[in-house]
Amino acid sequence: MSGARVSRPAWFESVWGSTERRRILYAAIAAVLLFVVGDLVRPGFASLRSIEAVLVVASFVGLVAAGQTFVILIGGIDLSVPWVLNAAAILLATSSLGHNDRAPLAVALTLGMGALVGICNGIGIALLGIPAVVMTLAMNGIMEGLTLGLSSGLTCSSCASYAPPVVQAAAHARLLGIPVMLLIWLAVIAVVSVLLTLTRFGRSTYAIGNNARASFLAGLNVEATSVALYGLSGFFAALAGIALVGFGGQASLGIGDPYLFQSIAAVVIGGVYILGGRGHYLGAVFGSITLVALISVLMALNMPEYGRSIIYGVIILLLLLLYGREAGES
Amino acid sequence: MAPLSSSRRTPLWRHVLVQNAGLVLAVGMLVAALVAYVAVYLATQHRLPGGFELTSTVNNTMPLVLAGVAQTLVVLTRGLDLSVGGVVDLTNAVTAITLGDSPARNALWTVLILLIGAACGLLNGLLVAVGRLQPILVTLATLSIFQGLAVRVLPQPGGQVPEGYTALLANPAAPTSLFYVLLLAVLWLLFRRSRLGIDIIAVGNDAQASEAHGIRVRRTRILAYTLGGVFSAAAGIFLAANSTAGDATTGNTYTLTSIVAVVLGGVNLFGGRGSAIGTILGAFVTTMIVNVLFFAHIDPLYQNFYEGLFLVAAVLLAGGIGRLLGRRA
Repeated sequence: MSGARVSRPAWFESVWGSTERRRILYAAIAAVLLFVVGDLVRPGFASLRSIEAVLVVASFVGLVAAGQTFVILIGGIDLSVPWVLNAAAILLATSSLGHNDRAPLAVALTLGMGALVGICNGIGIALLGIPAVVMTLAMNGIMEGLTLGLSSGLTCSSCASYAPPVVQAAAHARLLGIPVMLLIWLAVIAVVSVLLTLTRFGRSTYAIGNNARASFLAGLNVEATSVALYGLSGFFAALAGIALVGFGGQASLGIGDPYLFQSIAAVVIGGVYILGGRGHYLGAVFGSITLVALISVLMALNMPEYGRSIIYGVIILLLLLLYGREAGES
Repeated sequence: MAPLSSSRRTPLWRHVLVQNAGLVLAVGMLVAALVAYVAVYLATQHRLPGGFELTSTVNNTMPLVLAGVAQTLVVLTRGLDLSVGGVVDLTNAVTAITLGDSPARNALWTVLILLIGAACGLLNGLLVAVGRLQPILVTLATLSIFQGLAVRVLPQPGGQVPEGYTALLANPAAPTSLFYVLLLAVLWLLFRRSRLGIDIIAVGNDAQASEAHGIRVRRTRILAYTLGGVFSAAAGIFLAANSTAGDATTGNTYTLTSIVAVVLGGVNLFGGRGSAIGTILGAFVTTMIVNVLFFAHIDPLYQNFYEGLFLVAAVLLAGGIGRLLGRRA
């Protein structure tokens, strides 16, 4: 197939030469296309205000996808996202009781809880040798049972608490005309990208994803790195939980459920290789935007939920087939 | 080669034990769960569980047994089928709206529903084997599609399953469903020795080596997923028969619980090792744990917590025992 390849300008090859970088470009193009289609279907869909709304919703998916990217890069997966996120949302509301002065402690406690749960996942997977699917699946159940049990099915006296006004403001306010939520996401994008591409930790992550055994023989601390990566996944799921409870005001049961499918889909659309070792968080960012834009377009079309569910699956399959073909080329 | 050279030194019973460590552990867990169940039942109900308990346990476990067998077929090829719950949803919904009073028509629809399951599995198999996509991603996407179709077929819980149909598959009066459990076990023992059964396990162990030995890897994978779809459909039919109505969402849980049954049954998630009989035992262990928690008056809200802990403990135990036996042998 390489004979049929069109020669591209040198600058293009240098920037978009690698497969996974090209996929970031595809994900970005898909997002733009969806906005154009959306605007044709419902004029005003691509207005600044509407784009902004889509981006804010995408930021929640993007935060979870950051954690999912970390673990997928080492060939793992985190199925415990839904209830870590949900537990975080409830923990923030119940520990802060809606008071601003309790907010810093509540946020720290919630993020710590997320990281701790993730570290437990990592210990089970990297040190005890439990398959990632089983460990994180079990952890999802454990967190669900704990959350429901401790909050008596969200009927406890403090369960109706609102998120502290500061947290709510952070999810709704604007700074220099840009929603704070998007600024937070930009900061996360910067930190995660630097962590993955410019640090020893990031290099180790890609190395382990490509070949864990070779990484171990080369002297990398595979176990500690893996545990840290799962910890990060828990941390980001908790961060998304905080953002969601800030956005919605109150916690509810089941708010984490859509984020498992969406975070994995975003990561895959963004060109991160599911078996690990290849991909960038920036891809997952555009994947999140594409996904949320798609949902918004389908909702603008008044598509019933079952129709959205079907189209959702079909589009992900088409993208996978498209990517799969490309992988066969190289 | 290793078993041949070492067979003189290690006794046969140990070799058999090592080869079937997962199965032996599954039996052990089921016995332990049964003892715990009887003890808790005796302590709280002041009598022994009888025929009614046996009947309801078997009837409630049958869908999980079938979904677990479906998952086993796919896991043995080194895959994972997250769409099991979606197929159960879809077939459960179709069962509830199509069955009527005519037995001939019901028989025809039963076959058609199994074919729907086969079609779902075939789609998964083609995408995995021919499309060369990751099983976990393919089935995550098709799960979404099947769930959507299920809600399209049956937007609200309802429909109806005729009494005769329920009596045949999930008889509430006597534990006749045990027959299906035994039938599945016998079918598995036959299947395990059939060409396809051997191929599936070979592909799961080493796809490249299988290809080199003339096994048609693609065809084997496609058939494993298709057959899995048929068993998922059977799970949907039994679920509808047992609840005498349909619901397009109750099947969702079977994606997770089928994986739990497979893991408890000692089937290796990395393919090539395990037995559907282990999965069947694992399915019953899962149900017994729920029963024990129920009769021990544990707050049902904590149910998933204990199930999650149990799953981790079981995997660790299986791994530990396997390593212990493996080291000595």
